[in-house]
Amino acid sequence: MTQQPLIQVKNLDLYFGAFHALKNVSVDFNAGELIGLVGDNGAGKTTLIRVLCGIHAPTKGEVFFDGRKVEKFHPKLAIDQGIETIQQSVGLCDNLSIARNFYLGREPVKRILGIPFLDFAKMREKSSRVIRQFGLRENVSADDEVERLSGGERQSVKIGRAVEFKNRVVIMDEPTNHLSVREREHVNELAVQLKEQGLLVIYITHDIFQVHKLADRVVIMENGEKVADASTDSMSAEALEDVIRQGGRVVEKQEAV
Amino acid sequence: MALSAAKPLIRRHTEIGIFLIGAILIVIFASTSDGRWANLYNIGTIMQVTATLGLMSLGVAIVIGTGEIDISVGSTFGMGALAHLWLAARVDPVFAALAAIVVGAAIGYVNGWLVTRTRTPSLIITLGTLMIFRGIAIALTDGFSFSIPYAARNGWTYFLLGGGDVFGFNTALFWLIAAFAVLLVVLKAMPFGNRLLAVGGSADSAHSRGVRVDRIKLSAFVICGILAAFAGALEAGKLGFADGSMGRLMELQAIASCVLGGCLLAGGRISLIGALMGAFVLSSIQSYLVVTGVQPQWFILILGLIVVGAAYGDKSLRNWAIRK
Ligand SMILES: Nc1ncnc2c1ncn2[C@@H]1O[C@H](COP(=O)(O)OP(=O)(O)OP(=O)(O)O)[C@@H](O)[C@H]1O
Ligand SMILES: [Mg+2]
Repeated sequence: MTQQPLIQVKNLDLYFGAFHALKNVSVDFNAGELIGLVGDNGAGKTTLIRVLCGIHAPTKGEVFFDGRKVEKFHPKLAIDQGIETIQQSVGLCDNLSIARNFYLGREPVKRILGIPFLDFAKMREKSSRVIRQFGLRENVSADDEVERLSGGERQSVKIGRAVEFKNRVVIMDEPTNHLSVREREHVNELAVQLKEQGLLVIYITHDIFQVHKLADRVVIMENGEKVADASTDSMSAEALEDVIRQGGRVVEKQEAV
Repeated sequence: MALSAAKPLIRRHTEIGIFLIGAILIVIFASTSDGRWANLYNIGTIMQVTATLGLMSLGVAIVIGTGEIDISVGSTFGMGALAHLWLAARVDPVFAALAAIVVGAAIGYVNGWLVTRTRTPSLIITLGTLMIFRGIAIALTDGFSFSIPYAARNGWTYFLLGGGDVFGFNTALFWLIAAFAVLLVVLKAMPFGNRLLAVGGSADSAHSRGVRVDRIKLSAFVICGILAAFAGALEAGKLGFADGSMGRLMELQAIASCVLGGCLLAGGRISLIGALMGAFVLSSIQSYLVVTGVQPQWFILILGLIVVGAAYGDKSLRNWAIRK
């Protein structure tokens, strides 16, 4: 019996106005897999995962989650299905504190007469404990506004949040951006751990050699198209790099072999 | 230096500017009006005006918090007043006020629905509804005014809804305090408030975390409409009559109150207490002009000059606080 993919993308097309950002993309993502998603700047990696996490609705094509067709695209629905995402350029509100950002959209509450009040103690304590593991300095408090944070600290908030709420799928869009060497290693270990726990991990990066070491499978995008989809056993990092450098032209040759 | 110790405080609390301006103006007004401004009766009048303008400003502040703006509140105020007056002559004022609230909620819903569905800037949408509902108010009254017969101006509910005083203050002031307390808790201590400010801070980020951005904005407009219409009902209860022009230009004062009070028009950062202080300052200025016998035709000009001056002063203060 073959295992049914956890997420199945079929013939996806997405337009931003007249701009064709995703072109007939089909990919299967399985539970317990760590998938590297690579490609040049502007290739459409972020756009693809933004469909998976509900931010964009595709213009054409289908997405199946757990065998069921996704009819409505909204981040709330994706989150409720267990898809947690570390976004590349959104995800934090500068005007709110770390703790408030951490729990945005799923705030823990204490009810008094049925009225939900924020559970500040829990929000503060838990968020700072989780985020500290990913490089938040001790002198930064969970009550500080995100606006004050450095790029690495902002990233650590996003990563900590994904770890806290991880469920079935964790999507990481260039998660090691702004991070120091030690934290980078920590995040990479984390990606492997999550996969070993049976989650599906989608890892977007420009570091092909790194992701080749981590991933079970690598998907390469170019100009909105998927140009390669190969297990890391069957393709060396150098070969992957060649595909990206030559804009996917090598692939046709390889497939012809 | 002792002054620079206040810098972090000013940076964190954008409403400090309006409190300083308020304090300075109070001293000036009290010392130059020969007791005509700073007496209990006049302060009571200022508080009544502050209460209705303040309720409206709180609603506008909530909408500003989401990064939108509602300038239709002057007309909503008028519609609330008319609904209240029309019904208060027939049924208990409680039901009249409830009807005014329903009217306000409906106007807010229309605003929020148009803004979120058409993705058109709220400035232009609510400018349109400002004119639409003013037009309806004028058409409804058709040149006359709505009023409650003197015989009906009694009963404790009439008294509680703007028609009477407690401890020398119009009951509207107590409604304002209650609305302020509730909104402050909702904004700071409940999930809805967290999401509302998140939407104003970055709608895209809030959306990516699963926040229903459109619903939050729609709710903010509804809250704003309710507060403006309820303020209109309280004003109607105080005066006992109104014509189609009631609340005209009040929207500008409400927005000025919010901005002077430290609400950032870009969204995400608002101060409810600042908006109230802004309303108090504007009401105080008006009252000063009245008691010192300035000709009414100069009101709006002088008010405008003071608003510009106050905005500039507040901005300078903040720039000073940001500098090392
Ligand atoms: N909201 C949008 N509106 C219009 N165009 C967009 C939008 N988002 C992305 N694009 C365009 O779609 C293309 C793909 O962008 P995307 O962000 O998916 O690239 P990427 O592969 O993630 O690149 P990078 O490695 O630089 O993050 C780009 O040309 C980009 O300009
Ligand atoms: Mg990207």
